[in-house]
Amino acid sequence: MAMAKTGETIKLSFPVNPAYVSSARLTASSIANRMGFDIDEIEDIKTAVSEACTYIIRTMITDEKSNFEINFILLEGVMEIHMVTSGMPVPTPPDEMSLMMIKALVDDFKLSGGPEKNIEIFMIKKHISSFFE
Amino acid sequence: MDFQMDHSFDEQQNRWNIILTGEIDIFNSLELKTRLTKLVEEKPADVFLQCKFLEYIDSTGLGALVGVLKNVKGSGFTIHMQDVKPNIQKLFKITNLDNEFILEEGDGNG
Repeated sequence: MAMAKTGETIKLSFPVNPAYVSSARLTASSIANRMGFDIDEIEDIKTAVSEACTYIIRTMITDEKSNFEINFILLEGVMEIHMVTSGMPVPTPPDEMSLMMIKALVDDFKLSGGPEKNIEIFMIKKHISSFFE
Repeated sequence: MDFQMDHSFDEQQNRWNIILTGEIDIFNSLELKTRLTKLVEEKPADVFLQCKFLEYIDSTGLGALVGVLKNVKGSGFTIHMQDVKPNIQKLFKITNLDNEFILEEGDGNG
């Protein structure tokens, strides 16, 4: 059985539409599973990706031209997730509950961009037990 | 997977018994809020949310529950969350909402 390999990248592109957040969640857990993350870590990744999508959707003006990309970058015992938008953000950013949740669930988190600029989200999740194998 | 909400009013114990099933996120959290608000405004009482079949809830779903909780507390009642799965309990802890809602084991009325 071929598992996910270090160095591989999975790229997805989504419209700014709440209907597809569940697809992003499902994909994130499926990739994390193939990388050998344990059940709790998979839940963390799933929630972090879901909340990042929610943050982006609430920050972007929803039209058919707006979209965002999710890149899953597979490293040794580490999943790097990079998300970037194209389209116009709304003038007032949404409340911070999504960000509070993401920060608690991943090992590293960076957010940049905002009004007039593309939003970029960068997250890292480490597979703890991989350091003991 | 979408979410499902089944409700019944327990006249003897004067409370709403509600069963939540599936996944709640930004796609359907407004529907959850609207439906729960309608019930508690129709008949203010304690709300018992049976969550053993609730697979996922996101920040907007938790926000919806907080909105309903404010309404319920305004009439002197509260919301009990029963048999919440560990992955969801973790989200209540992260957001400090475990202090606002009563998280407990189910009492078979759900």
